[in-house]
This record gives sequence, C-alpha cells and structure tokens, in this order.
Amino acid sequence: MTKVVFYPGCVMPTEQYAYEMSIREVMPKVGIELVDVKGFSCCGTPLKSVNQMVTLTLSARNLALAEQEGHDIFAPCSICHLGLSEAKHVLDDDRSMKERINTFLADENLEYKGTSKLYHTVDLLHDVVTVDAIIKAVKTPLKDMKIATHYGCHLIRPSEIGRPDDAENPQKMETILKALGGQPVYYPEKLDCCGGLLTANLPESALTKTGQKLQRVQEQGFDVFVDACPWCHRQFDAKQQQAAKTVGGEIAMPVLYLTQLLGIAMGIKKEKLGVQLNQSPVEKIQVGGT
Amino acid sequence: MAKKIGVFICYCGENIASKVDVKELATYAETLDDVVVSQTYKYMCSEGGATLIKETIKKHQLDGVVIASCSPRMHEQTFRGVVQEGGLNPFTLEIANIREHCSWIHDDKKVATEKAKKIVAGAVAKARLLESLETPKIQVKPGAVVIGGGIAGIQASLDLAEAGQQVYLVEKSPTIGGRMAQLDKTFPTLDCSGCILTPKMKDVANHPNIKLLTYAEVTGIEGTVGNYTVKVKKKARYVDFETCKGCGDCAVACRLHDRITSEFDMGMGKRSAIYLPFPQAVPPKYTIDKDTCLMLTRGKCGTGPLCVEACPENAIDFKQQDEEISLEVGALIVATGYDVLDPTQLYEYGYAESQDVITSMEMERLINSSGPTDGKIVQPSTGENPKSVTYILCVGSRDQTECSWCCRIGCMSALKQIYLIKEKLGDDIEINICYTDIRSFGKGYEEFYRNIRGMNVNFFRGRPSEVRPGEKQLTIDIYDTTTSKLFEISTDLVVLVPALVPRDDADAFAKMLRISQSADRFLLEAHPKLRPMDTFTTGIFIAGSCQGPKDIQDSVSHASGAAARALNILSKKEYETEPFISVVEEDLCSGCSTCIAACPYDAISLVEQKEGNAVARVDETLCMGCGACVVVCPSGAMQQKGFKDKQLRAIINACVE
Repeated sequence: MTKVVFYPGCVMPTEQYAYEMSIREVMPKVGIELVDVKGFSCCGTPLKSVNQMVTLTLSARNLALAEQEGHDIFAPCSICHLGLSEAKHVLDDDRSMKERINTFLADENLEYKGTSKLYHTVDLLHDVVTVDAIIKAVKTPLKDMKIATHYGCHLIRPSEIGRPDDAENPQKMETILKALGGQPVYYPEKLDCCGGLLTANLPESALTKTGQKLQRVQEQGFDVFVDACPWCHRQFDAKQQQAAKTVGGEIAMPVLYLTQLLGIAMGIKKEKLGVQLNQSPVEKIQVGGT
Repeated sequence: MAKKIGVFICYCGENIASKVDVKELATYAETLDDVVVSQTYKYMCSEGGATLIKETIKKHQLDGVVIASCSPRMHEQTFRGVVQEGGLNPFTLEIANIREHCSWIHDDKKVATEKAKKIVAGAVAKARLLESLETPKIQVKPGAVVIGGGIAGIQASLDLAEAGQQVYLVEKSPTIGGRMAQLDKTFPTLDCSGCILTPKMKDVANHPNIKLLTYAEVTGIEGTVGNYTVKVKKKARYVDFETCKGCGDCAVACRLHDRITSEFDMGMGKRSAIYLPFPQAVPPKYTIDKDTCLMLTRGKCGTGPLCVEACPENAIDFKQQDEEISLEVGALIVATGYDVLDPTQLYEYGYAESQDVITSMEMERLINSSGPTDGKIVQPSTGENPKSVTYILCVGSRDQTECSWCCRIGCMSALKQIYLIKEKLGDDIEINICYTDIRSFGKGYEEFYRNIRGMNVNFFRGRPSEVRPGEKQLTIDIYDTTTSKLFEISTDLVVLVPALVPRDDADAFAKMLRISQSADRFLLEAHPKLRPMDTFTTGIFIAGSCQGPKDIQDSVSHASGAAARALNILSKKEYETEPFISVVEEDLCSGCSTCIAACPYDAISLVEQKEGNAVARVDETLCMGCGACVVVCPSGAMQQKGFKDKQLRAIINACVE
C-alpha cells in the first residue's frame, strides 16, 4: 500500500459526492491508502483575483499540513490541484517568498518545506498505481465501449508549472481506459473547455460551451463521456439538460467520473461508486452490476 | 641578472588622462624595481608613440616593455610589432590595461590613479618574468574538404577551386543541390530555383579542381590546421559509377516502381528502389536504396532483378561494398545545412490527424512543375484544387517550448508561395495567413510583402490555438491581435511553415569535428559579428544554415566568406600559430594522465623517460593553447607559455601588496 494524504477541497465534500465516493472505493483496491488530515481549508484559488498573498498562504498552509504526515498529496479536484501546484512552483522557486509565507504559517506552528509531491487522480492512477496493476484489478472489461475523454483545462495547463499530462496531446486517461478494455477514441473537440468557469459572469456562454461539446460527442456516437474534475463534471452531468436547452438540442449522454468507470470495470457495485447520484442518463451503461 | 624594463604610459587623448593622473603614474612607475625609464605620450599607438618606444628601447638597452594603455584586444598586435622593430622579442611585452579596466569605469580621479598604479605594478612584475617565445610555423597542405553539397557547399567549392585549390566536395545524398533543388521559385525575384542552381551544379561537376564525392560521408578527422586527414566513407550505390549513363531504364523496370516514398519530393511523390532523386541530379548516376530494394533486403527479386535486365550498360552490381578513403587537406568547410522541424509532435496543428495539413516544403513540391503532381496544387485528401488555403507561420519557431529562434525564411517563403498559388489558381482562391510578425528584412523583401498585402489575402496576426479536422473542411480558431477579435476560419488546405532546426546528427557530427555548438545546437561561430565563418578550431570553417537559419542569398555570401577565410590559410606555404601553448616541466610530472583526459585536441601523450617513469608531453603542432590541461594538473607541472603560474602569481602579489 502506498499512503497519500487525501485533500478533498470544497466542491467534492459539499456537492460532488460521487467523485469522493468512487475514489474512496477504488483507490484502496489498487494499492493506495488515503490518509485524512484534520484542519484543511479552501485551497485559495477562488481568491486569486482578489489577493494573491492570501491565495498563496492558504495553499501553502494546506501543503504544510499534508507534509507533516510525511506522504505525497492527492488532490482530485483539478482546480485545487492547479492552485496547489502554482503555490509549490512559486515557493520552491523563490526563497524569499517562501520565508515570507512561512512567517504567516508560524502562527499555527506550520512550515512549508516542499517535501511532498502532488498528484491528481489521472497521474496517481497512471504513474503510481500503474497500468499493470489496473489490468490485474479488472473483473468486467468495458468491452467495445466507445469512450470520449475530457481532461479539462486546469489539469493540463499551463505546462511550465508542471501538469499531470501534456497540454496538447494528453493520453494518460486513454491509456488507463484501454487497460479497462474500453475504446477511447480521438475526437476534434477533446480539449474544448467545459465552460464552467464562465458561470458567474456569462452563464449563457458557459452552458453554450457545455452544450456544444456534448452535442458533438453525441453526434460522433460515443457511449460514455468521462471526466476527472468536479467542476467539469457539474457542467456535463448536472447541467446537461440546461445546456441542451441553451443550444437548442436534445442531449442524452451518460457522463461518469474516471474513478466511477474504473470501479465499474473492477466489478464494484454502481451504488458504492455513487453512480445513482449522477444526473445524466447513466442507466444507458450496460456493463457492471447495480 | 636584473631586467631593464621600460614603462610607456598613454594618455589616449582624454580617455585615460581625464580619470588617471598620467604624470603621477609615470613618476610612480620609475620607483618600481628594474624599471629604468618611464615615458608618457598622447597617443602611444600613433607613429610618434611607436618611434618613442623604439628609440627608448635602443637608448636604454631595454629587455622588457610595459605599455599602459587600452585593452590588449585593441593594440597588443600593434605594440608587439613595435617592440620587435625595436629589436626585442615581441613576447617580452606586457600590456597594462588602464583604460577599459580603470579610467572608463571610475569617476574618482584619485581612486583611479591608485588603481592604475596597481595595474602597472602587476604588469611590471609579470614583465620581469617574461621569456622570449617563438611562433611555431606549420607547413600547410594545399586543398580543402567541403562537407555538404547544398548551395553553400557548392559556392564555397567553386570559390576555392577558382582560386586554384583542390577541393573534395563530400555530399551524403546521391546528388548535390540540397534544399535549393527542391524549391520552385525563389523570393523576392521569383527566379526559377532550378534554372539558377543547375548551372552551378554543372560547374561543380566539370571543374578540374573539384572532386565530387556524392553518396559519401565524413567519418573521422585527424590533425590540425594545415594538416588535416579526413576519412570519408563512399557508400555503395550498387551501380557502377563509370558505366551508368543515367538513362533511367532501370527505374522504370524496377518491381517497386512508384512505390517508395520519395525523400526529394518530401513524401508527396513516389520513386523506385533504384532511383535518381530528380532529373537534373548531379552526378546523373542511379543509386539503389538498400533499405527497400528486394534483392538487397531479401536476396531475391521475383524471378530475377528487372533492373539488371533493363540496364543496357550492365552497370548494376549487387556485390558493391562501401569504400573508405582518406584525404589530406589544409582546411575544411562545413556546409551541412538544416532540418525542417517535424510538426507531427505539435498536436495542436493537426498535421498527424489530417492529410490536408501539409508543410511549406511539401507545398513547394506541389507547386513545382517538375514535382509529383506536375505543378498541380491539390488538396491531398481529394486530389482537387483547394478553394481556400491557410498558411500558419512560426510553427515551432519563436516558441519557448520548441525553438526559441526565428527561422528567417518562413515569412518570405510563405508570401512567395501565396503569389505562386494566386498565379496558378487565380485571384478567386481564398488565402488566409496567420502570422506573428512579418519579417521582410532583406533587399527587395519589403517591396514583395507590400505587393502581397495589396492582393486579395486575409492577414490574421496571431497564433491559432488549434487546427481542427472536420468532415469537409478544417477549422482554425485564431485570436487576431490587430482587431482584438476571435475568428474561426474554415479552409480546405492548411500549410504549416515549420521551424528550421539543426541536423538530427548535429551533436555527434560537431563532436567528431571537435567544433562547438551554440545553445540551439547549431554550429557555433568564433565571433557572432567579426568571425561568423570561423570556428574555434583553426582551419575548420562553417558556411550556410549549419550555423543558423539563412536564406539563399545569405548562405551564398556566408559560403564565399568561408572560402575566403580558408584561403587565408591555404594560400600560405607556412602558417604561424600562437606561441601560448602548454609545456610540461618534466621534473614535476608524475605521469598521472589527468591532462590527457582534459585535452580536447588529443595533443598530449605519455612518453617513457630513461628511468622507466612516464611523463606527459605536448605535441606543439596539435596544442591550441586552451589551457584546460594547466587547470587540471595536480602538481603544477603543466604550464602555459606566456601565462605560467609564477608569472600570474607575480601580478597578483604586486596588486595586493
């Protein structure tokens, strides 16, 4: 078992329970023990446009808390993962900034050292668990299932701070899904944005982006749409019907988290993976027991 | 015996005198041990200054000279000549740099004068220990090897040959001509590339002083300036060079006729396993590609090789072997050109996803009337004329994640192709161009650009985020920075203009020749402005795009320059090298060999002494005086003439006293 500190962020524990359920169900079965830590706060990213020092301090605080456990950190939310990665990038690069931030953390007897690596679901499965271990865990292969992958912008950009996969040609999800026996197929819209971050200012534009992408995926005959970010998932799954209305079309596309589909292929009951919480027509997916 | 040293201090007009009290400095210099005379002059580098130095040397019978003036980079050579005319060995001179190192960088006259005193004291301390040095003379072998038969190699070869030198032009492919032979027309004059190139190729083939070695590669090099031995591997053509008449019956007969991807046509056309890259190839001799020929890969070709049956001259010889030859020359010119970045790895441009995304070199073969489509510009997926063509410039160029440099030819080559497309397909065809900046810097280039700007062409300033293949057309998202608007372009054919990169074997090749590369992996010139054709290895010169991307005109200029630089050496019977080479104090040497490993020129070897101890010895003709051995020597046995430890230590002691 490899121990990692589990950093849930805010969206999963308050709204996107299915992602967390499937992670907690799947990870121990492929050799990852999740360590929970008391005292985590918001990652800081939502404050970035308001106060960068506060953002950096919050991120550093969470990283410092995790480092105390002596394990690497697992942040399944792409937004949190990017925020924490940016903080690591700044603090590991700029000694004076690190010293400054650490003076803030000293009030809680915390210190950011930079000793732990940071993982997202996609690279944790691909790089740490490895494809060989995943193949061994598969009980019900996803025979002939035509899968559209959605990486989401935050997971792969910007490359210079180090992201879990390539910005222009990400392939790790494809490799994992092939190990499950599925058929991930390239589609031109693969890297298109979910629209989620436009919601606050331009809600209609946000839903248009979501709807257009799902429409194109549906037209190309995909069986399932797979993502790995609670923000993206909210758009494609929970807001699918709103998006369909906005673009004036009919959309019925099953949307699953990567860890949900992995769990299904591993023979885990869908209920344990939180599939019943998904709002897209996931009942279309025939593989696996309820 | 004590030396008699003269100190000569220059005012350099006001350059030195405004910040250094020259009179006080001269008075100070006279107080230094062994200094018998100290003189000042307004411009020491002038004729009057030279006369003063020469007369003073004679009058005081000096045997050491210190000149306090500008950097030795400016006038050390001048003053060495003066000292020599005064009757001394030119290396008994030491320069004290009181301009760049003192007067130019200090404001306080008092401080500067004190510093100048220290600098002069250091120079005098070194001058006490200077020894007379002799400049080694090397016998120069005539002749040169030119590596690479593109336009740069062709031009350099012709220039050297016209000056009477024997030239060996080594080209790795079966023909000379290089990239220029692949082009249709050239910017900005729209000369037909082949029409201006092929006469030069013929000149090379017919020149009595040029020995053309095509389908051959340089595999090794030994020696140093004036005396290079170059090993060349002549690859087997499997066709007898003398008897082949170039009729081409073999290529028509070949079982793999029109089935092998043509490198010359950038993959847009096909050839046979036995082939001539293009009709005007020089030499006009066929070559069998051993990687595809059925006889050579499987040992069997149907009922028998059809090329053998077809050849009227019985020129085909499957038993031919590679051949190693060795050439003795005085100099080399490297003109190995560039590679075009393969855009497959740049996923956002869709080159791997769609056959209707091509490169500008591929387009060049489509436009060329002797190309695979006989000059018909087609959309590869349909074979029809495109109705809309979109150019994307700077693909991988000026990009921090790929190639940081500008390719220098992309803008102009795209504008030229746009002109030719409009000429062939009419003004109705939609042309879009996505550019970063249009760099039309050469003579006549800006005028050409202006001409295209006046035509019916859509210019978008920006880099497309993505080229997206669709069912019928490709779509491109581009944010135009001149209008601050996002555009979606739908188009039939996308032409990428990729970065120019060093040859993929550039690292190994540079290492073999012992020449340096810059951070971008192109070959490094000795000075970016004043020695752009030289390398740090004397006697090896660089020409054309192997040094960095160049257009044809710049390549030709660079090549003629390299030939002139090589002739500086080749035109002499004897070549004088620098005397500052390493020398071993054999009493101190333990024979540990550390210096041998450090020497980049293989100039040091171990020799047995009579007591059975081995000591290092430096080959004076190979040593380039880089000093690497001196630094690594653990016992201080290795010393560089003119820069011996005791001489440098004397400067430091005098300065810190």
